[in-house]
Amino acid sequence: MVTDNTTTGTEQVLQEAREALDEGLFPLQLFQDDDLHELEVQRLFGQSWVFIGHESEIPEPGDYARRYIGDDPFIFVRDESGEINLLFDSCRHRGTQVCRAEQGNTSHFRCPYHGWTYKNDGEAAGIPQKTKAFQELDREEYGLAHVPRLESYEGLVFASINEDVPSLEEWLGEYKWYLDIQLKLPDGGMEVVGEPHRWVIDANWKTIADNFNGDSYHTAWAHGSVVDLELGGEETVGHAGTGESIDHHIHCDGHTTSIRGFEDEDVFLTYPDEIVDELFSGDDLSEEQWQVARQALSFTGAIFPNFGFLHFGDTTDDPNKDVAPFFTIRKWRPISPDQMELWSWGLVPKNAPESFKERMYKMYTSNFGPTGNFEQDDVPIWKSITEAAGGEFARTQDLQLNYQMGMEWMSEMELDEEWAGPGFAYSENLEEGGMRLFHEQWYEMVAGNDREDALGTPMNVDLEVNQ
Amino acid sequence: MKLSDREDELEELLVEREVRQFLNHEAELLDARELHDWFDLIAEDISYYMPRRLMRENTAGVFSDESYYFDESYGSLKARVMRFDSEYAWAERPPTRTERYVTNVVVTEYDDEEVDVESNLLVYLSRADSEDHDFYSAKREDTLRRDGDSFEIADRTILLNQTILSTDNVSIFL
Ligand code: FES
Ligand SMILES: [Fe+2]
Repeated sequence: MVTDNTTTGTEQVLQEAREALDEGLFPLQLFQDDDLHELEVQRLFGQSWVFIGHESEIPEPGDYARRYIGDDPFIFVRDESGEINLLFDSCRHRGTQVCRAEQGNTSHFRCPYHGWTYKNDGEAAGIPQKTKAFQELDREEYGLAHVPRLESYEGLVFASINEDVPSLEEWLGEYKWYLDIQLKLPDGGMEVVGEPHRWVIDANWKTIADNFNGDSYHTAWAHGSVVDLELGGEETVGHAGTGESIDHHIHCDGHTTSIRGFEDEDVFLTYPDEIVDELFSGDDLSEEQWQVARQALSFTGAIFPNFGFLHFGDTTDDPNKDVAPFFTIRKWRPISPDQMELWSWGLVPKNAPESFKERMYKMYTSNFGPTGNFEQDDVPIWKSITEAAGGEFARTQDLQLNYQMGMEWMSEMELDEEWAGPGFAYSENLEEGGMRLFHEQWYEMVAGNDREDALGTPMNVDLEVNQ
Repeated sequence: MKLSDREDELEELLVEREVRQFLNHEAELLDARELHDWFDLIAEDISYYMPRRLMRENTAGVFSDESYYFDESYGSLKARVMRFDSEYAWAERPPTRTERYVTNVVVTEYDDEEVDVESNLLVYLSRADSEDHDFYSAKREDTLRRDGDSFEIADRTILLNQTILSTDNVSIFL
């Protein structure tokens, strides 16, 4: 009998996914599935907060940058009054895109087709021959469409095409505590350097999402070349579960962070003393946040669904040079079931001396981005997962990927009861609960449920035992 | 005009020939992934720079003042070369298969010590067990310094055409 494998197929796949997730598994085929991609675009990306850019990328009135949510083109633009807008890039006459350059500055956007023009806040400013040809057309109704929701947190701008999404504050929840540490540690905050790196790779977006949600296990192996060369300190790139560092994996309101650090030491991600003394007053952080920053060597983090960051110390571009930190934020934009575009920005403390900013940006490009000594080796791995997932074998043989590290019967995970920050903090980085937390939210949204349904319980510790 | 009256032009031609031979030799080393031999051609005061190209409404050929892919000194370039000796440099295991096409070679200035040269570079790159391929297309601006019979590379700027890269990564030297 021939079965319909479109709608029914997807429902069945989701049913199977549900069963797999309960066991800490994830069906391989979900890393490349055409029908699923459609559902992800509609139900997940269409209902989430998606990262757009950093306010420091468009500091002046008229500054703009093209950005995307899924396949949809938008203009990220600061208008004449200084407000940030996100305008759908499609002329209200007949749909032509009005913004052609990747970035720039303009007071107006001009449609190349019939010449309608729009102010940089989206308002329709000029319609050629209007008095003759469009007498009854109300200009006010024909501005460029604004994205329904646009909110920012400490310079990070997110948007949602769903009017009814909870506020960005609610979406981030208590995870803001960890974001603050990255963004507010230096007095004056962080700013983006130049323009983001962009590159398109043939891999499913969930592969990198997994990686940023606490894959401490891969670091020493996948990045063994960096270890071999001593381009990163042993504690930054060493094997998970080994070494002297105090490691934490934290799951907080659907988002995650992995922290490596040293107890009672002034580590400050190896920022040099001048920076620590001059810029890390701690005025914008709580005492507890400042203490976490003080002892931290590195942070990796992910905000559901497609934003990640790395704030690392103890790295270098040259084994004969002093170590320095870097800070990168990134977004993975799904294009198709087997393709995404990576966007990656380097950030630096806004008030740091130029020479330090340059050194820190250099650390970023040496380690991450398309030329990074780390990231060069990640991408082909994600690509190969996607390729293995796309065929008949993954679909017919029920191959399950294993994310059970940290589940009760696999290891003894404990919550760090002393931990001062919000969320569930495990005193261990040998666990894959952050990825399971990501999968749970992914599942709830793709199944058409509420993301909140996936939150609120620790991923690694038996609830019964701990309540 | 007699050939003997065209000495200056002859000299230019010879310099251009030397430079072309050098660039072709360099390309061959990189295609063969003889990276240590290639690195022997690098001057200790090297600046190896690949800025991020920008796309602007009215201006051609704009590059970022701040963002780049490479901004290497001797030590950091050496580290990148050495990285590929590691058995964990997965991006190049197995090695990518490349062919470099160096064309439009123009010597813009020269003296007894140094030659400034521009060239166009097209790299065909085949990776993994796939028919897929990538291209890098760029203009290069080099300063080559005389070193015995050959040259060393004292300065290289690589100006890519793409603003969005279509490659997994940049695990080769351009
Ligand atoms: S489509 Fe824009 S003016 Fe007609
Ligand atoms: Fe990695």
